[in-house]
Amino acid sequence: MSDDERTTEISSWWVGWRLSRYQPIQYLLGGALWVVVIAFPILTGLVLRELFDRFSQGTEASLREIGWLLAAFVALDVARQALMWLAIATWPFWWNSVQTLLRTNVLRSILCSRGPAATRLPASSGEALNRFRDDVEDILLLVDIWIDLTGDAVFAAIALAIMYQTDSRVTLVVVLPMIVIIVVTRSLSDRIKATHSAARSAAANVSEQLGGLFGGVLSLKVAGAEQAAIARLREHNAIRRTLEVRARLLTDLLDTVTASSVELSTGIVLLLVAPAMRSGQFTVGDLALFTAYVGWLAGLPRRVGRTLYRLRQTTVASGRLVRLLAEHEDHHDLVAHNPIYLREPAPPAPPPPAIDRPFERLVVERISAVHQSTGRGIADVSLRVERGELVVITGPVGSGKTTLVRAILGLLPIDSGALHWNDEIVTDPDATLVPPRVAYAAQVPRLWSASLRENLELGWPVDDHGLDEALRLARLYDDVGEMAEGLDTLVGPRGVRLSGGQLQRAVAARALVRQPELLVVDDLSSALDVETERALWDGLLSPDRDGPPLALLVVSHRPNVLDRADRVVVLAGGRILEPTAIA
Amino acid sequence: MDAHETAIDPRHVLRAHLWPERRALAGLIGALVIGTVLPLTGPIILGHFVDRAIAGAKSGELAAIAIVYLVVAAAAQAATVVRTWVASRQAWTATNRLREELAEHTLSLDISYHGKHPPGELIERVDGDVHAIAEFLVTFLVDILGSAPLLAGTLIVLTVDDIRLGAALAAFVVAASLFLVRVQRRAVPTSAAHRAIVAGLFADLEEHLAAAEDLRANGAGAHIVRRFHDVSAEAFRADRRAEIVGGGLVRLTNLAFTLGTAMLLGLGVLLQRSGAISVGTLLVVFRYSQIIRQPLERIIDQLKELQRAQAGVARAAELFAEHSNLAWPSAEEAHRLAPTGSLSIELRDVSFSYGDENVLDHIDLRLEAGRSIGLVGRTGSGKSTITRLMLRLYDPGDGAVLLDGVDLRRIGVADLRQRVAMVTQEVQLFRASLRENLTLFETHPKDDDALLALLDELGLGPWLRAQTHGLDTELGPDGSGLSAGEAQLLALARAFLADPGLVILDEPSSRLDPDTELLVERAVDRLSRGRTTVLVAHRLSSLRAVDEIAVVDHGRIVEHDARESLVADPSSRFSRLLAASR
Repeated sequence: MSDDERTTEISSWWVGWRLSRYQPIQYLLGGALWVVVIAFPILTGLVLRELFDRFSQGTEASLREIGWLLAAFVALDVARQALMWLAIATWPFWWNSVQTLLRTNVLRSILCSRGPAATRLPASSGEALNRFRDDVEDILLLVDIWIDLTGDAVFAAIALAIMYQTDSRVTLVVVLPMIVIIVVTRSLSDRIKATHSAARSAAANVSEQLGGLFGGVLSLKVAGAEQAAIARLREHNAIRRTLEVRARLLTDLLDTVTASSVELSTGIVLLLVAPAMRSGQFTVGDLALFTAYVGWLAGLPRRVGRTLYRLRQTTVASGRLVRLLAEHEDHHDLVAHNPIYLREPAPPAPPPPAIDRPFERLVVERISAVHQSTGRGIADVSLRVERGELVVITGPVGSGKTTLVRAILGLLPIDSGALHWNDEIVTDPDATLVPPRVAYAAQVPRLWSASLRENLELGWPVDDHGLDEALRLARLYDDVGEMAEGLDTLVGPRGVRLSGGQLQRAVAARALVRQPELLVVDDLSSALDVETERALWDGLLSPDRDGPPLALLVVSHRPNVLDRADRVVVLAGGRILEPTAIA
Repeated sequence: MDAHETAIDPRHVLRAHLWPERRALAGLIGALVIGTVLPLTGPIILGHFVDRAIAGAKSGELAAIAIVYLVVAAAAQAATVVRTWVASRQAWTATNRLREELAEHTLSLDISYHGKHPPGELIERVDGDVHAIAEFLVTFLVDILGSAPLLAGTLIVLTVDDIRLGAALAAFVVAASLFLVRVQRRAVPTSAAHRAIVAGLFADLEEHLAAAEDLRANGAGAHIVRRFHDVSAEAFRADRRAEIVGGGLVRLTNLAFTLGTAMLLGLGVLLQRSGAISVGTLLVVFRYSQIIRQPLERIIDQLKELQRAQAGVARAAELFAEHSNLAWPSAEEAHRLAPTGSLSIELRDVSFSYGDENVLDHIDLRLEAGRSIGLVGRTGSGKSTITRLMLRLYDPGDGAVLLDGVDLRRIGVADLRQRVAMVTQEVQLFRASLRENLTLFETHPKDDDALLALLDELGLGPWLRAQTHGLDTELGPDGSGLSAGEAQLLALARAFLADPGLVILDEPSSRLDPDTELLVERAVDRLSRGRTTVLVAHRLSSLRAVDEIAVVDHGRIVEHDARESLVADPSSRFSRLLAASR
């Protein structure tokens, strides 16, 4: 896997910058609002100073003035809260835009970019889900914190200027402890990063365990193994707790250092201003202002520290997301400014490409494909399919039949060999061998929680007549007729509300809806009874069928399919057993 | 078939699942007390400093006060770290327990429940929601629980200074708390709506990621991306609504605090002018109004977490309120099955329906102990439902299922699971070692030699020898590294380990090539030897060895007899099916 090269050098600054430029107006306007909100306490501090100066004057101060100052204190907060509410109410647009951008860029790459799909998800779909959720959020938080950082910087600049005017010596000394925060943050951030990423993968492990439990609930129930599986979950949970607590503690240590430096600054102020206070040069109001500002000032170095942490976290998160992209893609594609549609409906998917030349033949020339993890696969396999032919791939279990089909369709990476479609070389089988040229019915039927119609159409432009025709060919028509809601029946998660045979036939119907020139079927007949299966093949191979003659590339070991085949490819141990298969 | 719901109070979830143990509680309280006293001392020292400075005290005395301030402040910080450690550990212990109990409860729900709720959704409910609770609980234990003694402390100190100040602060705290509670109630529904949409978004996404290859090969990628855009837009609208409502309420709360501070200062200045308190005390009043404000403001900042956590707790309570429709007898009441030997199985006048759809219609079927039967019928004829009823994954609507002559409803769950095994066409593997996948996490523990011998016997020897880690080889839920046939053999090995008295095989060899089919059939033969066996198969060839055949059609048994007699009778349905398959 080449993911290491792609992920080690990702600059968080660059990623953040690109994302901040995605909805620049919203980002800048929203950001400006936040900066004002964050710098607002400057005014509050000034009011406090006036108040405490009058307090220390005792009864000489005018009660009216104090009343007005208290009113100003309240009015400032009214203004600040109103601005903040405005900022909060408008920010979701930017946040959701960039969140959706990152997620759709990854999803589009997994589902649409050229390159084999099989190597995309490094672990389970549940683990990948974690990346869509947490890693995306990590990156967003970086761009988000830049605004806070700016706000803190603006506040610090003004506050320091005011303090400097009051007492330059004290101001200079007070700033010193702040530098400690940055230094400590820098040295801690590595450990924080390591601990957080360990905690993250421990969390993903727990998610995955849970996914396993719920996905395998039937096996667990039938075997009465629920308790044992929960015990396993408990172990993973305990590991996660240790790491999460450590991560939290390390992060909090940063807060503690910040707070300590504030206290240190306050203590220093007290030590230094004692003589000036006795002489009246440094007033009680000044002290109130200094102690208040010092507390708020700590926000800056703290935010610098957080930003450092976020920068590192973003590198990790970007790497984990880039890993999901196609092999030819990198972090540029992760943050590419593609359109998203939060305020208007998304445009329909582009229509299927037109066929320029009708299908003549598919020639597969000595292709090899080896699974990296298991070392198993296929080697030097050649075959051909001509228009209107039925070609059957057969062989014992583990001989590589499914691997061959997936390699031809470009779902698995090919190590060597070539594919020719109509005598033209195919460089991107996964982009070329798709509807309306080729459609695929996989061995494991995969439907999902939606209506049967949605599961069959998947956005393919087809009218009711076309749907009925596909249902008839796949021998699913009568089944649908018996369903109370017909095609609008919700099939349930992973299609569980259909029987095994119905699922298989639904997958076949889904491929047939696309009216392909070549239909690739991986063991469709497995869950079908003899009569249903025979009828299905009769229909598919019937010359009276609508549309162009269908070529079929089928994995099967059923005698009645083998009998009808124009060619048979026998695989054993990933190699062709009968070299005559390519005529 | 819907699991019936009884309302469970979310507070019950807090008490029953999240409350810390006694010792942890003591440690927590200790850390909280120390973490409270020290921060309260700081402002008093500061006020004292101001008063002394105004009074014209010597520089040495002022410097000494400043140094005391520094020491107390440093100790207060150290106490904070300890408090965080104790609290976050406690929060994680409690939420881990909740996650485990929730997972266990969810596993105990009926198969029909799991059919309606995909794994992605359940992960989000058991993990995502509990995570939100965990995040909040840390804050709660540190900030909210910490602020109670802090509030008490400020009240005491101010009351000692002047009882009117104490009374004013108390009145303010009560008003603010009431306000906070109201705010939360208003904000939770919008936040819950947002979360529900996000949960749906992730459930869809998980299913689409799992089906990535099918989608690509059928040119549906762009369509799914488009759908994702639509759902994201829906999530955005819900998020914005939640922020506008929730954020607005939080702003109002903050404003209330500012009003409170102004009110306290106003009262303070009147007292000071009357000579009741010093300027230093006025500074203490101000700092205290900030001190109580800071943790409370942090709580309010965490309000979103609280809303999420409350929504999470509410959803956890909902999940706890789901119950299995299957009532299992207690250990004392349960009928004990014979620990070894084969068991007879009988369906007596059984009817069953999914919703309005009648699946089984007054079925009678009896199989003597040790005999084997093949169930034959079209797809959707009701064969699989019969096997699910024999396992008591459902209860029949009418009639009874009897195992060894005893109604399944009188048999304990552990006993039944021990004595009845099923192997299905879909093999479910777990992300765990081969050993754990075989023994199902040590539910049926066996030593390694026995496992290896069993795998060899079933024909998995060659495959196992190709694995470098042997029994420690990690498997995954997608069956990575295993073919369908090998996975099927593993599933059969699982059944062997359980040593059941009734074996149910639901199309175990349907997706296999002839060679592996032979292996699987051999394993099936061995498994059924000396055991009552129910075999569902499309391929009539795999029914060569069974004693009896029952033909199922549209939810009825239309033919049931010894296999030989059916084969011998050319007019039997089974004979006709055999002829058609040749």
